[in-house]
Amino acid sequence: MTTTPSPRPDGSPPAAVEAVGLVKTYGSVRAVDGVSLRVEPGEVYGMLGPNGAGKTTFLRMLFGLIRPDSGTVRVFGRSWAESGVGVLEGVAGFIEAPRFYPYLTGRQNLEALALLDGGASRGRVEEVLGTVDLADRAHLKVGGYSYGMKQRLGVAASLLRDPRLLVLDEPANGLDPGGIRDMRALVKRLASGGLTVLLSSHHMDEVEEICDNVTIMARGAVAFHGSLPDLRALAPEPGHLLRTTDDVAAERLALARPDLRVGRDGDTLRVAGQRAATTGLVADLVAAGVGLLELTPTQTPLEELFFMLTDPAGTAPTGGAAA
Amino acid sequence: MSAAVRFELRKLAAQWRVRALLLAALLGPIPVALVMSAQANPPKDTLFGRFALDNGFALALMLLGFLGQWVLPLLTSVVAGDSFASEDQHGTWKTVLTRSTSRNRLFWAKVLVNLGLTTLVLVVLAASTIASALLVEGAPALTGLTGQLIAPGHALWLVAAAWLSVLPPLLGFTCLALLMSVWTRSSAAAIAVPVVLALAMQMLGSVGTLEPVRPFLLTTAFESWHGLLTDPRFTGPLLEGFVVSAAWAAVCLAGASFILHRRDITGG
Repeated sequence: MTTTPSPRPDGSPPAAVEAVGLVKTYGSVRAVDGVSLRVEPGEVYGMLGPNGAGKTTFLRMLFGLIRPDSGTVRVFGRSWAESGVGVLEGVAGFIEAPRFYPYLTGRQNLEALALLDGGASRGRVEEVLGTVDLADRAHLKVGGYSYGMKQRLGVAASLLRDPRLLVLDEPANGLDPGGIRDMRALVKRLASGGLTVLLSSHHMDEVEEICDNVTIMARGAVAFHGSLPDLRALAPEPGHLLRTTDDVAAERLALARPDLRVGRDGDTLRVAGQRAATTGLVADLVAAGVGLLELTPTQTPLEELFFMLTDPAGTAPTGGAAA
Repeated sequence: MSAAVRFELRKLAAQWRVRALLLAALLGPIPVALVMSAQANPPKDTLFGRFALDNGFALALMLLGFLGQWVLPLLTSVVAGDSFASEDQHGTWKTVLTRSTSRNRLFWAKVLVNLGLTTLVLVVLAASTIASALLVEGAPALTGLTGQLIAPGHALWLVAAAWLSVLPPLLGFTCLALLMSVWTRSSAAAIAVPVVLALAMQMLGSVGTLEPVRPFLLTTAFESWHGLLTDPRFTGPLLEGFVVSAAWAAVCLAGASFILHRRDITGG
């Protein structure tokens, strides 16, 4: 039995995903610890976090694969308690690596899954196979598919449902660089058509490239929630590793600049500051006759912020943020 | 529900083990009948064994008695035991449960399809065994368990009814295999456990001091057809077998449903 979701008091449609205080515990481990988030219709939303942060557990609860210990998740205004499997109307996606029946071909898998959705025409199956560039391999058994082909078949199986919300759990995982590029292009293309996308990833660059808003999770809890501009505002200044012919003189010159923060990464000098400050240091080095052997950017500022948010104990590299 | 049933049928139709099972049920009885006919001495210590070498009806009934010990439970477990466990093995629970179908619908679709397949396998096996036995040994009048002579036309109906009577306990074993499939999430365990339990029940049933337990064993229902071949005929064991089989099936399905609905799908 399903219930019709009601619009919000202001008349706007319900959020695509609205989670409130979700908790899931396995023994003494709180896999998801009071997570609340909201995905608005039409946006591309990123869930970012290292492996084990709780992203996949959250998505499994969204799909009803596991039950939360407490808290609720609503999809387009429907909750599992009220609507049962009706929650998944208009929702598609995959959790971790998409899995299929290895003894069926790619096309047969899609045709069989379409039965569970009430059926799909042969033309629609061919259309989604074409969308993910699998039309010429659809006659092969899935047992022989590469990882990337299974990922694409997973997207095809999702598109078969004509979803309003597409949930992708680390879709670029295990793909080669070309596959990653193609997958990101596909997600961007789908999102440009108005589809709401909830994408989990542990790659900041992926989320930065595709998403409008982001939740960063660490150890089951939300470490950041907001837009990418908000996130960028929190990011530390860009850092560089510096090797010169005279590191002692170089460090003295860097410390003399108030717009730079200076530290050491082992034997290597590390400076952090805006581009103009770093450029100014380079000019100072040249003027002082110090040869510049290497000037290497550390992680991007957002990557550094990601590590700071998800690993505050400092086990991850801190790059230019160090003083 | 019909969509989920069609989904399960489509998967079953593509599996080699289902085709192999049906092929074995169809062709397996032929060499068995031929080998039996080549024996010099009849197996006199088995039910209807004394007449098995010169009467096709007796051979078909003797084989039914033998198959009921563990072969029939094995035949039904081969597919039913794999039904739920294969979703765990392939990691496809998350694939099917993220479509517009509930665990409940998938559960009952799998149950219905497996019960249907078990029935089909039994019908094919029965038809093939009876036909092979009659072709190899002929179809003279059958000597019943109380020594009465049964005319060939009537004997054919009784033999067919005897084979049909093992359907309830066989469906009971199907449900047991389904329970094991959900519970253990292992195809191998779900196939082996019903067979081992069938053998254990046979042993328990043969222990004189455990006679009060005997009517409640699923394997006892495999012998309920004996009353069809006596004069006068008695059908009480058939009814008892039906009730016991239904109870086993209900308990197994209730357990399987409970486990499937309670579990978190974390694999795959």
